[in-house]
Amino acid sequence: MKTQEIIETPSLAATFFRALGTGGKRPGLVKTLPKVELAIPSVTLDAQHIARYAALTGFSASQGVPLIYPQMLTFPLVTAYMCSPECPWPAMGTVHLANSIEQYKSLRAGDTVRVEMGTGQLFTHEKGQGFTLDLRILRDGELVWSATQSLLRVGVKETAGQPFASQLALDTSLSCQTEFTAPADIGRRYGAVSGDRNPIHLTAITAKLFGFKRAIAHGMWTKARALSYLLPADPLERASTAVEFKTPLLLPGRAALWTERSSNGAQFEVRDKTGMRPHLRGQLSY
Amino acid sequence: MTSTTPIRRVAILGGNRIPFARSNTVYSQASNQEMLTATLQGLVDRFNLHGERLGDVVAGAVMKHSRDFNLVRASVLSTTLARETPAFDIQQACGTGLEAAMIVANKIALGHIESGIAGGVDTTSDAPIALNEKLRKILLDLSRAKNGAQRLAAAMRIRPSMLVKPALPRNGEPRTGFSMGEHAEIMAREWAIPREAQDELALKSHQNLAKAYEQGFFTDLMTPFKGVTKDNNLRADLTIEKLRSLKPVFDKKVAPGQGTLTAGNSTPLTDGASAVLLASEEWAAAHKLPVQAYITFSEVAAVDFFGKKEGQNSEGLLMAPAYAVPRMLARAGLTLQDFDYYEIHEAFAAQVLCTLNAWQDKVFCKNQLGLSKPLGKIDMSKLNVNGSSLAAGHPFAATGGRLVATLAKMLAQKGSGRGLISICAAGGQGVVAIIER
Repeated sequence: MKTQEIIETPSLAATFFRALGTGGKRPGLVKTLPKVELAIPSVTLDAQHIARYAALTGFSASQGVPLIYPQMLTFPLVTAYMCSPECPWPAMGTVHLANSIEQYKSLRAGDTVRVEMGTGQLFTHEKGQGFTLDLRILRDGELVWSATQSLLRVGVKETAGQPFASQLALDTSLSCQTEFTAPADIGRRYGAVSGDRNPIHLTAITAKLFGFKRAIAHGMWTKARALSYLLPADPLERASTAVEFKTPLLLPGRAALWTERSSNGAQFEVRDKTGMRPHLRGQLSY
Repeated sequence: MTSTTPIRRVAILGGNRIPFARSNTVYSQASNQEMLTATLQGLVDRFNLHGERLGDVVAGAVMKHSRDFNLVRASVLSTTLARETPAFDIQQACGTGLEAAMIVANKIALGHIESGIAGGVDTTSDAPIALNEKLRKILLDLSRAKNGAQRLAAAMRIRPSMLVKPALPRNGEPRTGFSMGEHAEIMAREWAIPREAQDELALKSHQNLAKAYEQGFFTDLMTPFKGVTKDNNLRADLTIEKLRSLKPVFDKKVAPGQGTLTAGNSTPLTDGASAVLLASEEWAAAHKLPVQAYITFSEVAAVDFFGKKEGQNSEGLLMAPAYAVPRMLARAGLTLQDFDYYEIHEAFAAQVLCTLNAWQDKVFCKNQLGLSKPLGKIDMSKLNVNGSSLAAGHPFAATGGRLVATLAKMLAQKGSGRGLISICAAGGQGVVAIIER
C-alpha cells in the first residue's frame, strides 16, 4: 500500500472538532486492523519547542533532546489517523495503555527528519479492544527513533488479536526516589506544547463530561516527568524505555517516583503520594 | 643514659556507654559533661575503680561549648575516680573515640602509664550556638573601646537581625560547603552504590542490634541514663518496605532527583557517650580484672577530598579508611580476610559499601593503593554482627568507644580471634585499628 504523506498539519481546533465528530463510529467486530501508513516528509527539530517541552517535563538542557520528545512530532499523524475513516473507533474515549520507545541515535535541535506512523496489531485486553501504532523517525533515510503506542478501546465486547502481554517485569523492590507535583494547569500547558488538547486533560468540567472526577495528567507528561529524573545528565546515544499506564493522575496532584536503579537503567513506577497506587509502571535502559 | 621499656601488650578490660538517643529526644536537656560523667562513673562502678588514680583519661567531643575547654578533666572530677587522675580533651571528628583509645594504648604500650580510660561524647541537642559573627565582632570592639564615644559608635552598629540570626553549628565540610550526607551521596554515585543495597545494610544493622539486645549483649556494656535503657534510634520492627518508602534527603545539591541516601540508610544526629578501660597486663592482673582482648595495630589516613589534580577528581570525603586499612594490613602482615569480625562504622550505608567496593576494585587498588591485586571481599556475615551506627545512632566522638568495647567483648566471647575497626571522619580522615585475642 502507498504511504499517505501529510504536508500540512491540521489546526488544533479543527482536529478537536473532527475528533468529536468521529464519535458515531460503531464498527462491530474488527478482525484485523486495516493497514495505514502516514508520513510527514520533513520536520525540523525546533530548539525553542524542545526548551518549552523540557521546562514542562523537568528535563535539563544538558540532557539534550529528551528521549521521549520525538513522540511530539508523531502526534499530528496519530491524530490524523484516529480522526480518519480508516480508524475503526472514535478518537474520544480511546485510552493510552502503553508506550515503548527505542532511540538508536541521538537527535539534536536543528535536525531535519521524516516522521512516520503505521498501524500495528490488534490485541485483546480484559477491558476491551487494543491496537498498536508504530511510530518512526528517520534522519537521512536512517531509522533513529521508533516507538510503539498501545491504545485501548474500552468496552468492546468481541475482541480480536493475541491477549495483551505486559513487557515489564513484576519487580516489587522499588523504593521511593522523589515526589513531584502535577499542577492544576499542567494539562492545559502540556496540551499547548504537545497539541494534545483532549478535554479530559484541560479542566475539571470538561473532564467530568468524560467520566473523570477532575482533569487528569497526560500519561506522556507523567512518563516524561519520571524520565527526567531517571535519565543521566548527559545526552545518550542509545536508550529505550517502556511504560504501561495504570491509573489516572488527577490534577492537581502529588505523585511519587519509585525506582530500582541498575548501572544502565532503572525500573520505575509513578505512584500516588501514599505509595500504594501506581499511575504508571515502566523500565528504562541505556 | 637511655633506658627503653620493651613495648607491652595493651589490654582492653571492658567498656561502658549510655544508650544513644536521637538528637532532641530524651537527652535534649543533657550536657556533654553530664553524659560523659555518667558514662565514666558507670565504668568506674563496674570495675570498682573508686578512688583509683588512673594514668590518664583521654576523651573528646566534636560539638563542644567553649566553656567545656577542659571537658574530660571536669567530668573525671565529678566521678569517684581519684581526683589525682589526669585527663585531657582531643578532637578528630568521628575518629575522636578511636584516636583517644590509641593515645591511651600507646602510653600503656610504652610504659608511660599502666591504665587509662579512652572515650568520647557528643550532643547535637545541647549544641553550642554562637553569637552572630557580626555581633560578636561588635561586642569585642565594644570591650576594647576606651571612651564613651567609641562605645556608642560600636553599639550603634548593632542591628536587631543580628540577635535573631545566630551562628548555628553545621554538620558540614567547611572547604566544600557540602554536608556529610551530600559527600556520601557523591561517593555513592561515584561507586554506583544502589539504593537497594544501602537499605538492606540498614535493615541488617537494625536486625543485628535488636538481636544483640535480645541476647543481653549490652548488659555489661551499658549504664542506663535518664531512664533510657536502649538506643532509641533502634527500630526492631523495621521492614525493607518501610526503608524503601523513604525519600532521598541529600540529593538536592549534588544529584537532584537521583539520590540514594535516605533518613533510613544514613545515621541520625545522636546524643551519647562511651568509654573503654585499657591497661597493661600487669595492672589488669594486679586488679584481678580479666583481659577481654588486646589492641595491636592502628593506622590513620587522610585523603585530598577537594582539590583536583591533573584532571583527576578528588577522593571521596569518607574514603580515607579505604587507604588506612591496607597500610595497616601491610604492617601487620595480614590480609583483609584474616579477620573474624569487621566493625565498620556505618556513618552512611553508602560509606560502608563504597569502602568495601573500593577494596574489590582492581583499578582503585592498583592506582590509589599501589597494590598488585585487590584486597578482595569480606564475609558479610562477619560485618557489624551486633549492629552498628545505622541502628544505634552515631554521637560523633562516642562511636569509637562503642566499637572498641563491642569488638573486645565479641572476641572475649569467642575465646580467640581478630577483629578490624574502621571509622571514617570529617575532614577526609580515617582511623582504623586491629583488636586481637
